[in-house]
Amino acid sequence: MDWLDLGLTFVKTLAILLTVVNTVPIMSWVERRGAALIQDRPGPNRVGPLGLIQPIADFVKFIWKEDPTPANVSGVLYTIAPFLSLLPACLVLAALPVGDHLVVMGREVRMQIADLDVGLLYVLAISSLGIYGILFGGWASNNKFSLLGGLRSASQMISYEIPLAIAATGMVLFYGTLNLREIVLWQEGTLLGVLPRWGVVLQPFGFLLFLIAAFAETNRLPFDLPETEAELVAGYHTEYGSMKFATFMMAEYMNLTTISGMMVTLYFGGWHIPWIGDSQLLAWFGGSRNILGLFQFVVFFTKVTAFLFLFVWVRWTVPRFRFDQLMRLAWGRLIPLTLLNLVVSAVVLYLVEGR
Amino acid sequence: MEAFAPVGLLLAIALAMCAGILGLTTWLGPRRPSAAKLSTYECGAIPEGNARQPFRSRFYLIAVLFLLFDVEAVFFIPWALVYRESLAEGAGLLLAMLVYLGFVVLGLIYVIRKKCLELY
Repeated sequence: MDWLDLGLTFVKTLAILLTVVNTVPIMSWVERRGAALIQDRPGPNRVGPLGLIQPIADFVKFIWKEDPTPANVSGVLYTIAPFLSLLPACLVLAALPVGDHLVVMGREVRMQIADLDVGLLYVLAISSLGIYGILFGGWASNNKFSLLGGLRSASQMISYEIPLAIAATGMVLFYGTLNLREIVLWQEGTLLGVLPRWGVVLQPFGFLLFLIAAFAETNRLPFDLPETEAELVAGYHTEYGSMKFATFMMAEYMNLTTISGMMVTLYFGGWHIPWIGDSQLLAWFGGSRNILGLFQFVVFFTKVTAFLFLFVWVRWTVPRFRFDQLMRLAWGRLIPLTLLNLVVSAVVLYLVEGR
Repeated sequence: MEAFAPVGLLLAIALAMCAGILGLTTWLGPRRPSAAKLSTYECGAIPEGNARQPFRSRFYLIAVLFLLFDVEAVFFIPWALVYRESLAEGAGLLLAMLVYLGFVVLGLIYVIRKKCLELY
């Protein structure tokens, strides 16, 4: 690894991180405009055309607002809690493959921050660290609403992590690797000549379970029990204001992008488009790896955008669960169903490929 | 381990971003504290008591159960990794995992029957 490699890695890391950080203001606009669309009202439409400048105005306002530390909070924990939830949200991105590779100055640059052999485990492990930020935030605020929000959030996130992991294991049965890049490469081509060889085609049921667990992991409606503005004011970030509040929001939207990226990677073929292989595309682009890489990047984020819109759509359509229903859904339904999915997949694989 | 080097780089950038956010908001925001502003928020009513009170121990139980079941879930991963290759040698690995799965399911049934997850 010499200086050129280091520089390329730095640029690549910054590019992927900034792309995902930039989904946050865009998502905050899409969320409000989407809500307005579904509820038949205009939504933010004053700042700039279609209200597009609204996120920037919000950012300016957030950063210039007073950031008071309430009198009864535990100072250090209260201050670091938002950043403890933002840091894992950034770190998870390392394993996400957004494209195959580029060729820069004669070197092959993977479009992925770190090509980890344990990619899937890394994503599951790091994303669950985000819980500390929420738990500390809820506890340090010394507010009953925050405490309840933090506790609920903790038990919800840890409960839904198990079905998430088991559903992903169901896909590992087919892929035989945890390396996310190899998982995407595996999904190139077609199945039986007609269907794209995507995870969702192999395990549609497993994908549904993963999707439900993903909604709960990211604390989105119908599972946004940590916030429940009707019961807990704002849940774990009741006592937060100014940019610290915005940091919690940033972490939430970045987690949303990452989990959408994981769904695209595991179940929707990553950067592949159906029926047309990479070599075919490469021929169309005149053999230019860089144009192909750019194209794959666009394809990947188009799929991610589709999932992000699904999150918004569901949020403003489905009512909220009650907390005991939520726990019962995780332990009594989702975990047994994901286990069943795993066993059925294993048995079918045995019947098809076994001796 | 070298594969993890860019993760360190990402961590450094993310830390810098966090420091930037914290620095900017402390530097740019005004500072006009008052007793009412700094009091605990309880929907405008005068705060009653302290939030540092004992809470339901079932939350602790859920954390313990999570540890158990997450470790059990992780055990499936190495099995899933080699499963497809092992199919050439017959159903041994499938049967072994079915036995293990039986124990996991027994544990799950026990937990649910004991109403460990009924928080209210």
